[in-house]
Formats: sequence, C-alpha cells, structure tokens
Amino acid sequence: MLILAMDSSATPASAALLEEDKILSEFYIHTKQTHSQTLMPMVDSVLKLSGRTLDDLDCIAVSAGPGSFTGVRIGVSCVKGLAMTRNIPCAGVSTLRAMAENAKGMSGVVCAVMDARCAQVYNAMFRVEGDTVERISEDRALPISELFEECAAYGEKLLLVGDGAELCYKTFASFGAKLLQPQLRFQRASGVAYAAKEMCENGETVTPDALMPVYLRLPQAERELKKKNTMNTEGSK
Amino acid sequence: MAVYITKSVSETEALAARVAEKLTGGEVIAFSGSMGMGKTAFTRGLVIALGGGDVVSSPTFALVNEYDARLTVQHFDMYRVSGWDDLYSTGFFDYLDTDQVLVVEWSENIDGALPENAIRIAISKGEDESERIFEIDGIDL
Repeated sequence: MLILAMDSSATPASAALLEEDKILSEFYIHTKQTHSQTLMPMVDSVLKLSGRTLDDLDCIAVSAGPGSFTGVRIGVSCVKGLAMTRNIPCAGVSTLRAMAENAKGMSGVVCAVMDARCAQVYNAMFRVEGDTVERISEDRALPISELFEECAAYGEKLLLVGDGAELCYKTFASFGAKLLQPQLRFQRASGVAYAAKEMCENGETVTPDALMPVYLRLPQAERELKKKNTMNTEGSK
Repeated sequence: MAVYITKSVSETEALAARVAEKLTGGEVIAFSGSMGMGKTAFTRGLVIALGGGDVVSSPTFALVNEYDARLTVQHFDMYRVSGWDDLYSTGFFDYLDTDQVLVVEWSENIDGALPENAIRIAISKGEDESERIFEIDGIDL
C-alpha cells in the first residue's frame, strides 16, 4: 500500500510518502512562506525522488482540520485536485490525531493542542502505550482554562504536542505536564500518513468529491468579540 | 495617546504617511469611527507612503484587499463580521504573526480579537465638515 500524505493545517507544511510501514520520503518546511507556494513543489519532490507517480498511489491523505482557515482549504483542495484525475481514494485525517503519532512509543496521555487564538485551543486527547494510539476524546475547541481543569488529573503522565503546546505548558507545567521536544512537537505529513493507513484498513477512505475540510466551532468566547456600547450606529452600508 | 487634527483629505493622507514611516512589519492598525470619517483615505495615504501606489479601495465587498508595497498590507473591513466564526472565515487569524501590516476598518466589531499591541486609531468629526480628530494609541510619531 502506497499513501501520499500532506499537511498544511497551520504554519508548518509537509508532504510524505508511506509504503507499508516505511516512510519513503518526507519534506517538511516551517517558514512564513505561504503553503500555496511550497506545498505542490514538496509533493512533486517526494514523488519524483522516490521514483513514484500518482498512478502508484492507493490513497491520498491530508490533515483536514482543525487548523488555520486558509491552510486547511489549501491542503484539502490540493488533494481533491490530484485525486480526482485518477479517482484515488482520499483520507481526511484529524490534524490532532496526526500529531498524536509523534508520541508513539512513549507512555502516557497525549494532549494534542493547536492555538485557536484568544486563549482558546483545538484539542483532542489520546492514550499512547507502545505502538498504539487510542483516542479518548473527540476533536473540540475550548478555552485553555477549561482544558487545564481536565488535564490536571493526568499530572506527570500528560504529554503536550502541537503548536499550542508551549502556550499550555506555561500553566500546565504546574502539575508536571511534559512538553514534546521541538522535533516532535508539530504535525507532520508522516503522522498524517500513519493515521491514514489505519483509516484505509478500517475502510474509512472517501471519494475525492466527498473529502471536506473540518472546522470546529469556537466555544462561546470568554470575552465578547464586539466592543460594548460604543458601536456608532450612524449610517449604514 | 496622541491627538492629531486634519483639515482635509490630503492632510489625513499626510498623517498616514507619518505612521507608515514607523512601520516595520507585523503591526495591526485598528480603526474605529463611523462612516465617512476617512478610514479608507488614511489607508490610501499609508499605502502610497509605503510605495504601493494609489491602489487602495474600500474592502466592503471583498472583506480583505491585499496591497504590495515596502510591506505587504492586508486591508480588512469588519463591518459585517458578527461573531467568532465569521472572523475565522475571513482568514484574519492566519495573517497575525506574519511580517505583513494589517489595517482593520470597523475594528469595534472584533475588539476581543485584537492583539494587545495593536495600534488603535479612533477618528471623529471636528468642528467643521472637513475637520477630523485622530486619537492614535500604540505608536509614537
């Protein structure tokens, strides 16, 4: 089984090719360049340098959210475009599930967390033990303070991963939470690929037209978005 | 906070040019004030001063206009943004923490999402029709 995977759900972007259990190639970039400039050259490189073409693929996988609005749309539309030409099955992987792969081989509870701004995060919890990753919560959006309450019970077993990990660590360190090392902290296409492999085995792939971005509704914000009582109602557009 | 009074559109553009000189990238400029106060005129002056030419138009329908200049400027109109999901789908959060300059009209509507170090510019009417009062906070001119 050959899986092409890509991620452009937040600031980093990456592409990888997974054959059975082996990563054949992976390209990761973490700069301020836009994904619309970097993603396709990376996909092209991992295929060409591995001596493979689109015709060899059994599945194309992408982190379909949560994540940045434009980032997720770039990734999903890229995959749709490539897969439609040959009707290749697609796997829309949770970005949070993909980054839990980074903690494989460790023992504890993974708190995958992405910064949703304004003291809110996207999060999912997983139990990792040896080479298994078991989901123990749905993907959700919630205030950091609420996540803190829930995570404190795990104490030193808690492993923080994701671009919101450092943010949470500021307060979560008080109960002994651990921060994954920088090289393991962010989502990667290889993680997307391994998570997609499980989806392929469970028959959870979809046709290219059915692949959709996943947006999580932000929780009722702790603070109001609109400035109170100062809106000038003069005129209208 | 500093207060500036302009007596014409060209004086407003000149004030914007003074702000432009100080920009290094990554700033969020948040306007507040009602219709016709000169937010778009200010932005036009800012982009011209940054070397982007006379290209600014109101982003009312596009939600965001992008201008290439010494610094890339993203020009938002938040008039119709009425909640966090709305704001998310403008892509606003994706532009924060870049080296681009964000100019936000109707920032009253997204007050809770503005970064702490935002440059706040409140505009109000002066004594006569063409006079405008600019209260600028967060940058020294």
